Amino acid sequence: MSGPNEDNNTQLSSHIFGDLLDSIIVDVASECHRIAKLGLDRNLEEEEEEMRLSAQARARVADPSNSSETNTKYVVDIFGQTHPSVATEIFECMNCGRSIAAGRFAPHLEKCMGKGRKARLKVTRSSTAAQNRYLRGSPVSTYSPYSNSTSTNRLSNGTPSVAGEEYSNGTYEEPWNKT
Amino acid sequence: MKHSVNRPPTPDAAEDQGKEPTLQEIINIKLIESGEKERLMELLRERLIDCGWKDEMKALCRAHVKKKGRNNVTVDDLVHLITPKGRAYFGHSKVVGNQ
Repeated sequence: MSGPNEDNNTQLSSHIFGDLLDSIIVDVASECHRIAKLGLDRNLEEEEEEMRLSAQARARVADPSNSSETNTKYVVDIFGQTHPSVATEIFECMNCGRSIAAGRFAPHLEKCMGKGRKARLKVTRSSTAAQNRYLRGSPVSTYSPYSNSTSTNRLSNGTPSVAGEEYSNGTYEEPWNKT
Repeated sequence: MKHSVNRPPTPDAAEDQGKEPTLQEIINIKLIESGEKERLMELLRERLIDCGWKDEMKALCRAHVKKKGRNNVTVDDLVHLITPKGRAYFGHSKVVGNQ
């Protein structure tokens, strides 16, 4: 091919390419315009919304009047739902077979499996010495977390009585738990 | 009576003009007629997506929309925004056009 023809061809191809590219550019612009107008691009508004909400949340947290005294029972979470302060779903304890409310499950297990007096006696009778030693060796540590949990557990009468020992029948009844 | 009855007669464009279609135009017509242009368009579209060109252009558009506000943007704005950048992407030596 001679020189000028080559240049010509190159130029022609470039022109055609430019033509195609222009069409595609218009398509892309039109698509973006559509997305913008229809509000399909969630990010635009989402970000503004999130910034507003996070500023709001920050204000609420910093606000000293909004402390834990108010709304202890009816705390609203970020989705606007309220939960009872003690979870109410009922499960069966795999150790003793009783029906226990989810919110009382952990303390119940502690009693049922290790801390309650009768329960502990049952355990020592039927299991190894190693388990005995573990249980006997740390009576304080099993009690104190419990007392912490009752005092932070926002129940209506909130008395942090470490009542585990009083109920010597091993089945830990909690008559004051009305929920 | 309908307006269309009184419209001026269709000019016989090709015959009255002394102009020959340029090579450029002939090529264009041939491309379109053979369907090759459409194929090339699709090929180019695919390639542009693959290499991320389209995403970049969309990002530019989104930034512009964010700045101006969704309701103040026209297609024309976006086209004028994207055209120089879109062509520059390839290095201006390759793309000769109506810049």
